[in-house]
Amino acid sequence: MLQGRTVRLRAIEPEHGARARAWLNDPAVTRYVSDRYAPAAGDEFWLGRGPANSFQLGVRLAIETNAGEHIGGVKIDRIRPEDRKALMAVVLGEAGHWSNGYGADAIATTLRFAFHEMNLHRVWVTVVDGDEAALACYRACGLREEARLRREVYRHGEYADALAMGILRDEFDARRNGAREGGM
Amino acid sequence: MLTGEQVRLRPRDRADVERFYRWINDREVTRYLQAAYPISLADEERWFDGLTPNDFATGVGFSIDTKDGVHIGSLGLHDVEPEARTAVLGIMIGEKDYWSNGYGRDAIITLLRFGFGEMNLNRVSLHAFDFNDRAVACYTHCGFQIEGRLRDHHYGEGRYCDVIAMGVLRDEFEALHGLAAGRTEAPAL
Repeated sequence: MLQGRTVRLRAIEPEHGARARAWLNDPAVTRYVSDRYAPAAGDEFWLGRGPANSFQLGVRLAIETNAGEHIGGVKIDRIRPEDRKALMAVVLGEAGHWSNGYGADAIATTLRFAFHEMNLHRVWVTVVDGDEAALACYRACGLREEARLRREVYRHGEYADALAMGILRDEFDARRNGAREGGM
Repeated sequence: MLTGEQVRLRPRDRADVERFYRWINDREVTRYLQAAYPISLADEERWFDGLTPNDFATGVGFSIDTKDGVHIGSLGLHDVEPEARTAVLGIMIGEKDYWSNGYGRDAIITLLRFGFGEMNLNRVSLHAFDFNDRAVACYTHCGFQIEGRLRDHHYGEGRYCDVIAMGVLRDEFEALHGLAAGRTEAPAL
């Protein structure tokens, strides 16, 4: 279990399946995620039926509040060991818990694992243009916008751009050291 | 067979394997690709045997021949996303003597005409390492626009480098080069 300030991240268990299934079927949750076919191929792990977490196959974790309420999920995959890079994705499923700082906490906790345990050099994400909450959250966590992939996605009757954002190991460490020195 | 001005694109053939094997083990060629591991001839034959026929779902790959019939490289469109109508371009000119002669540009424009005009794609994207100036210039001539830099996204030859993300949309390619077979030289300004 990875412990954040207000959230903890742990391996997906069958008991996480019920809420995960509800989120995968909720258009408000999946609006900026792939919601065309719910559940879709590849959702098995969110329902507690995937391979064990590993460097090779990727990491998928349930996000819980410290009180134990299951509020979302995070994954690290497309890991390339030579490049020491990986793609991260986060979903906060419980609308009542949006804008509580849980997202930023989950992201920071995941990045700490990616850099300090998996020994990655780079973590990147893609965000659909228009998903302001995600963009703001990733920016607040230190990720920088790097590319605008034009008309990369199609949803709700129109094309949208996807934004690629990334953070490097030394940038992450500098932020944490700065935060400590700032007495936060 | 797709015909350009200087090249023909044809399905890959077992006879191509001996050249693929030579090129994939030439670091001067692979330094621009995501392919640093020495590969045996048997490995390369197994790779060829594992290829799927060209189709929309699994992507397309072609050998590049000059009009004189010299096999100089290969290219393709993969990671096809049917809802977004996107695909990723990859190209390798293995015969170094044929670099910087317009063959790459001609092959790419010919392939993009197929991607947009037959596969009905809306967007083709690609990655290039930031030190690969020749490729970025070629892609730009073909209509690709630089969309950003993914920092330290690739490691090779002892260091990290950035990856240039580029993309071309159907409308802008059609305006620049048209979808009918024909001229693939850059238009005179």
